[in-house]
Amino acid sequence: MTIKDKRLDEELFLKEREEVLKAWPTGKEVDFDEAVAYHKSIPEERIMVNTLMKADQVGKTLIQPRAGVALPEEHIGLLQYLREEGEADLLPTTIDSYTRQNQYREAENGIKESREMGRSMLNGFPAVNHGVKVCRQVNEAVNVPVQVRHGTPDARLLAEITLAGGFTDFEGGGISYNIPYAKSVAIEDTIRYWQYVDRLVGYYQEHGVNINREPFGPLTGTLVPPSISHSVAIIEALLAARQGVKYLSLGYGQNGNLIQDVAAIQSLRELARDYLDKFGYDDVMVTTVFHQWMGGFPQDESKAYAVISWGAAAASLSRATKVIVKTPHEAMGIPTKEANAAGLKTTKQIVNMLQDQGLEQTHNMDEEKEMIIRETEQILNRVLELGDGDLVQGTVRAFSAGVMDIPFAPSKHNAGQVLPARDNQGAVRYLNFGNLPFSHDVKEYHREKLSERGQVEDREVDFQMVIDDIYAIGKGMLVGRPR
Amino acid sequence: MAGKNDDNKPTVVLGVIGADVHAVGNQILEHALREAGFDVANIGVMVSQKEFVSAAIETGAEAIWVSSLYGHGEMDCRGLREKCIEAGIGDILIYVGGNLVVGKQDWEKVRKLFLDMGFDRVYPPGTLPEEAIADLEEDLKSRGVL
Repeated sequence: MTIKDKRLDEELFLKEREEVLKAWPTGKEVDFDEAVAYHKSIPEERIMVNTLMKADQVGKTLIQPRAGVALPEEHIGLLQYLREEGEADLLPTTIDSYTRQNQYREAENGIKESREMGRSMLNGFPAVNHGVKVCRQVNEAVNVPVQVRHGTPDARLLAEITLAGGFTDFEGGGISYNIPYAKSVAIEDTIRYWQYVDRLVGYYQEHGVNINREPFGPLTGTLVPPSISHSVAIIEALLAARQGVKYLSLGYGQNGNLIQDVAAIQSLRELARDYLDKFGYDDVMVTTVFHQWMGGFPQDESKAYAVISWGAAAASLSRATKVIVKTPHEAMGIPTKEANAAGLKTTKQIVNMLQDQGLEQTHNMDEEKEMIIRETEQILNRVLELGDGDLVQGTVRAFSAGVMDIPFAPSKHNAGQVLPARDNQGAVRYLNFGNLPFSHDVKEYHREKLSERGQVEDREVDFQMVIDDIYAIGKGMLVGRPR
Repeated sequence: MAGKNDDNKPTVVLGVIGADVHAVGNQILEHALREAGFDVANIGVMVSQKEFVSAAIETGAEAIWVSSLYGHGEMDCRGLREKCIEAGIGDILIYVGGNLVVGKQDWEKVRKLFLDMGFDRVYPPGTLPEEAIADLEEDLKSRGVL
């Protein structure tokens, strides 16, 4: 069956739900009407949409960590600690990697081993295995909204369990949780799975329950040029809106050049509003998410705090609605709760100090914003052309033609031809355009920026430059200058 | 024993084990190994132990390089050496590197854990490709391959 950008037929959707809920025994715990009634009993301060909308109105940047461990009691303790000690405004429940691949048996084994070993053997919270009741215990144990964060190509069951479990925000999307998170799942399949998730959110919405949806902004987290991540964010926003989603947070991963990072959040907001309105979704609300640097971190904790601080500053100055926070243990993997709280407090201090300061809208910033908007429009126009107006088919064809192409992604359905590199000021530019549908002058702009760096460093603009840039921040620099 | 490729370059099987999808380091390692004159059978992300072993047999590889960045390495890597022994390539070099366990743990303990599992070399996060490549060259020389 060819998948189109159409709202799922209700009868077929409800039939599919029955199948989805049978995939693991905890699916039996899901009762939609009861879940709607439960959501209506959730106090204001634990509903994500309320908190995000309020922050957005006053231009405040909220802070949110990543966190998840195998066992419920430990997970609850972790969230409470990050709220109380870390001063987190919003909390996450990060899902483990087995659950992300629908490997519920392996997750079960991880839960068992975690109990035996007395430490978490999983890198997140296996929400499907724990089921609806335990999810509600998690939400009820804290006084702020909790979001499900993961990386699951087929998250239908996870969405069913966690939404019935009282979570009010769900991350992911058919592109952003496929290309950076899977090896061989077809894009058409993941778009279809995420139509289901979005339809489920829309279904709650129609029953009076506000649930926020957040496409995953940073993608592979490695020097992703803003116009690539913006294109994905806007497509996923439009696909979600089609299924009845009314509240969206669109994200972007910090690249490290302040002007480019601020311009990226500004342009993301404008582009999203523009496209949603153009498609007739003017009642869909958009907030923004800024991810602190997602690439390699310095091992040294003081240096890591500096990277965290720079991300906090860029997030605040860009007026992003929330910032996702890194920790001083980033280079070592999953942090202790103390390190996680430390990253949060560092961020909180900076966000508070910058809340009443603005950044002057300079010529450079306008130029940067203009370029991001032009590039994104060129990509999205070609996607729509390729789909004869249909966004799903356009997206599928765009990936197979390399018109959309995400650098360093593991998926075999991604062309992998695009290569980014930093220019002489550290902004991320295109070194290889692959098949991105950019106009001649856009390409010239990037070539000039990179050749300027090549001249300063007296070397060729090539793959070695890319490698140097990937390691640079971990080694104490932004631009990977020759050693 | 030299590689079974026509060019006689030693072959390294490269992959990210388990349900892990971290692809960036994998691509850089491939590039670095090729630059250093190795043949690389890069089997990418989300690789099972069985796939590592099959790829090593198919390519006549001298070494298997396992990456694990997401913290499940301890569960994913257990038994890989035994699988190689069962398949008749028990003496193949196996290296592992990355964020191998959940949380910040004492590195020497982590290293010992993986050496006891039968890995020849174990690398902490942040290791540059050059370091592991130099070790590989040394190990291959001592085996008379290089």
